[in-house]
Order: sequence, then C-alpha cells, then structure tokens
Amino acid sequence: MDLQLALLFLQQGVASGLVVGSVYALLALAIVIIFKTSEVPNFAQGEMLMAAGYVALYLLVFRALPAWASISMTIVVAFAGAALFRRVVLTQVAHASGSPVNLVIATLGLSYVLKGLVRQTGFGDTPRSFPALVSTDSLMIGQASVTRLDLAILGTAIIVMAAFFWMFGYTKLGRAMRSVGMNPKAAQLVGVNLNRIHTIIWGLSGAISAIAALLISPKLLMTADMGSVVTLGFAAAIVGGFASLPGAVVGGFIIGIVEQLVGLFVSSRAITLAPFLAIMLVLILRPQGLFGGRVVIKKV
Amino acid sequence: MRILGLLAAMAGLIVLPLISSGYVVYLANLLLTFTVLCLGMHIVIGEAGQFSLAQAAFYGIGIYTSGLANTAFGWPLPLSVLASGLVAALVGLCIGTLALRMRDIYLALATFAFGEAMQWVFLSWTPVTGGPNGLRIPPASLLGFEIVNDRQAYPVVLAITILMIWATVVIARSRLGRAFRAVRESEVAALAMGVSVQTTKLAAFALSAFFAGVAGAMFAIYSTYIHPDSLGFQTTILVLTMVVVGGLGSFSGAIGGAIVFGLISELLRQAPSYQEIIYGLILIVFMMFAPRGLFAFIGDNLKRFARA
Repeated sequence: MDLQLALLFLQQGVASGLVVGSVYALLALAIVIIFKTSEVPNFAQGEMLMAAGYVALYLLVFRALPAWASISMTIVVAFAGAALFRRVVLTQVAHASGSPVNLVIATLGLSYVLKGLVRQTGFGDTPRSFPALVSTDSLMIGQASVTRLDLAILGTAIIVMAAFFWMFGYTKLGRAMRSVGMNPKAAQLVGVNLNRIHTIIWGLSGAISAIAALLISPKLLMTADMGSVVTLGFAAAIVGGFASLPGAVVGGFIIGIVEQLVGLFVSSRAITLAPFLAIMLVLILRPQGLFGGRVVIKKV
Repeated sequence: MRILGLLAAMAGLIVLPLISSGYVVYLANLLLTFTVLCLGMHIVIGEAGQFSLAQAAFYGIGIYTSGLANTAFGWPLPLSVLASGLVAALVGLCIGTLALRMRDIYLALATFAFGEAMQWVFLSWTPVTGGPNGLRIPPASLLGFEIVNDRQAYPVVLAITILMIWATVVIARSRLGRAFRAVRESEVAALAMGVSVQTTKLAAFALSAFFAGVAGAMFAIYSTYIHPDSLGFQTTILVLTMVVVGGLGSFSGAIGGAIVFGLISELLRQAPSYQEIIYGLILIVFMMFAPRGLFAFIGDNLKRFARA
C-alpha cells in the first residue's frame, strides 16, 4: 500500500471513527454511570438501545408523528422504562438476596425479554432502515468524506455529553450522584435518598441509550440483534477504566477509530473481533484502563 | 431415603435405552450433556461467585477439539474427551489470568466479548470448523468399537456424566471447594484466612471451562453435525437459566435444573419466538422471588403449608 492511499485511509478512518465513536462513548457513559453507583454492569444496555430504536421507528414511521415529538417521546419512554426496571425489579432482587451476581442475572434477563418482545411485535422480523432526519449529502474534510448526518451525530453526541457532565459536576443532583458512587452509607447519612438517586440514574442511563439509538440507527440496518453493539460500549468503558466518566468518553472515541481503521486496513470482517482484541490489549498493557486509578478492595 | 432415591434413579437411567424410543435416548444424551455444562457453570457462579459468560464458546472449543482429535489424529475416545477439556481449560486460563487482574466484573465482560469473538472464529475458520456449512462429526470409536447411534453412545455419555458429577462432589468437599465458597462470601475474610483469592477465582473459571469442554466432547460422541449458530450467547443463557432454575449455589439444583429446564426448553422448540421472552422472564422472576431456585422455593412453601 503506498503512502498516498495510507494517508487517505487514515483520514477517513479517523473521521468515521469519531462519528461512530461518539455513539460508543454515549453507550459507555450510560454503562459507567450505573456501574459507578451500584457496581452492576448492565448487560441489558444494548437491548435498551435496540428497544428505544424500535420505539422511535414505530412513532416516526408507523404513526407518522413529527420528528420532535417522536424523539422526545422515545427519550421519555426509555427514561421511564429503565427507571421502572430499577425501581420495581432490581429493588426486589436486592431485597430477595443481596448478592451482586443476582442483579447482573436480572439485567441479562431484561436483555432477553426486550429482544423477545421486539421480535414478537413483528417489527424485528426483517431488517429495517431508520429514516435519516438530516440530509446524507457528503462533504469533504481534508481527504475524508463525511455526510451532514455524520456531523449531526457527532455534534448531538457532544452536546449530550457536555450537558451530562455539567449536570454531574455542577448541580445538586449531580453531587448527590457522585456521593452515592463514593460512599452510599455516608451519602444516606447526609440526607441523600438512595432509592431516588438510583432510579434517576437508571432513567438517565436509559435516556442516554435512547439518544445513542436515535443517532446510530440511520447508519445501520435495524434488527432485533442490533443490541450487540453494546460489546463496543463495554470495550470503551474498559479502555477508560470502567469507573471513570471522562474515561468512558475517550474510550468510546478510541474504540470507534480503532474499529474503522481495522475495517479499512485489515478487513471489514475482522471488525467483529475488534472489541475483544481491544479489551484484551487493555488488560495486558494497562489493566486499570487509561483513566482508572487503583482499585481498592472494599472493607467488610 | 436418599440412597433409595439415588438407586432408583440409577436403575432408571440404566434401563432407559432398553425400553424407550430413539428420540428419548437422544434427549437423554442431550440432557446429560447439559448437566455437565450446568455443573461447570455451577462451579464458577454458584460456588465461587464469579461470572463466566463464555460457556457456549468453551463448549464449542470442546466439540471442535474432539472432532479434530478424531478425524485428523485418530485419537481414542478417552484421550479426545480429556483433550477437549484441557484445551478449553487452557484457553480459559489465558483469558482468566488477564481478566482477573483487575475488577471481578472484567471476567464477565471479557468472556462476553470472547464468546462473540469465538463464534466469529467458528464461522470463519473453515478448514477446522467447516465455516458456515457446519461440520460433519465422524463417529467416535471406543476400544475398536464404532459408536454410530444414540443408543450406543448413551452408556459412554452416562459414564462421563457420572464421572463429572463425582468430580464436582470431590472438588466441593476439598480445600479448593471451601476456598471457592469463602471467596464467594467475602474476599477480605478469605484473604485473611490465607486463601489466595486470585488463584482461587482463576481455578474456578478454568474448571468451568474444562467442564464445558468435556460437555462438548460428549456432544461430539452422539451427534453427527455441528453448526456455529448453536454456539452463540443463546446457549450460554440457556445454561445460565438452567442453573438459576435449579438454584444458584446448589449442586443438586444444577443437575435438577439441567433436567427440568432441559425438558422445558425442548418443548419450547415448538415456539421459538417465545423462547427469548420466556428465558428472560424466568431469569428475572427467579431472581426477584426465588433466588435459591425452584426446588428450594417449593420446599419452603411446602414447609409453610405444613405448618399452617
């Protein structure tokens, strides 16, 4: 491969990598905020994204609602669904046993229920395409070709992340969330309502997944299995150290760029292996992740 | 009472192929295979409290190793069964060593990603796995005697199952088994008692991979065909559901769950579109109301009923 072509591939890979990476970053963010506050890796995150995508598709295409209404309704539904799952199901699971393994199994159960439900409705039987709300005319940036849609995806993702970081860092609610992540008992002592905070966090995580779904769906064919994109979100979270929010974002962009470069330089079929290889590489080279500090063993 | 029940079960298992149809024997083989898969899952989740979400991948590794040992090297059956288990355990050891260096949960995530990656490998490595066409598994041979149908395979499969059940009991009663449960209950307390937490977790994970590999070899004995589609995350979830139905942490539950839910899943084959919802609901509902499994749940309620 000559230098000219390699440079072209590199530019194209980074450009498309930033676009898909922004979606992985959102997904990783949604995973990490739950893990940080309750030590549960949510295996249903991908299916939450998938289900939200289908809700949006239903409202937008089958009900022919205007875009703003469909988008806001989808986000509200995702928020409510995730919050409800936390409030009704996980509270009871924790009450019944308390072992963290059981909470994880419950999220695996949710992922299968959502997948099965989407298949049952009949929307999931054939791959469907989600209408692009922004034009797909392409632009050239340097030598890389990107569409207006791509720029809209990247822009929206960055705005959502900025809003989330502002909320998390500078509001009373955000401070309560951070305190729950650091020490739930102490947080409770100073008057934080744990149940309420956990419910809101799950709701927010669901809402962020819904936004990720709205962004990624026009770029791929929708199927009931599209939730498997979550593997890349997990990979991004691990790259970032799994308990660091900025880490999750940076990890998302790294995974996105690596995935696109592997697709261009190696082969598009090798993309499936990218998340696993990325996870293993991080575990070999820098097991605490790029942004993770030392992991402390919790005292009894 | 318990001994009597055990003897009755043994007698039933031995005469089963003499009195039943071919399908029932096939089903019995399948359920025994699932029993071994469940025992593997039981060791890692139930005993040690760690998560492995790649049981299907290790099962696949076992199947292909056994197929390869059989066709390419012409190894005798006991050797290829052992090789299947060891290869799976070795792969598990490599992943586990890396994944368990940091957080517990990395094992779940790494194995989850590994499962997806392995399915891709199974689909793409055509010379060994047959790729998307699947692989015809040649009949296994034991002491110069070819095993060509389910009925002939049954005694071998049963013998391996009993051996693995025995191994599970021996492990559970050994120092290692006590270390598993200590780590599950409290890592700090286990550490204080001189248990090497990392090594123990790794041992549990590698053992579960070994069990899954052996289960794969068992499948290769009576089955003639394997396709990568049946080695996906779905199978891992099926095994997990069985263990959950039987009761996390209960040895007899793992076996009971494999048999009870194995039969249910065979019935569910008629309605594939409901399969996912039912598996998912079972996982959620059991975690909510019967975290100790179906049998403990029934037992508890019977006691309450008797008292009232």
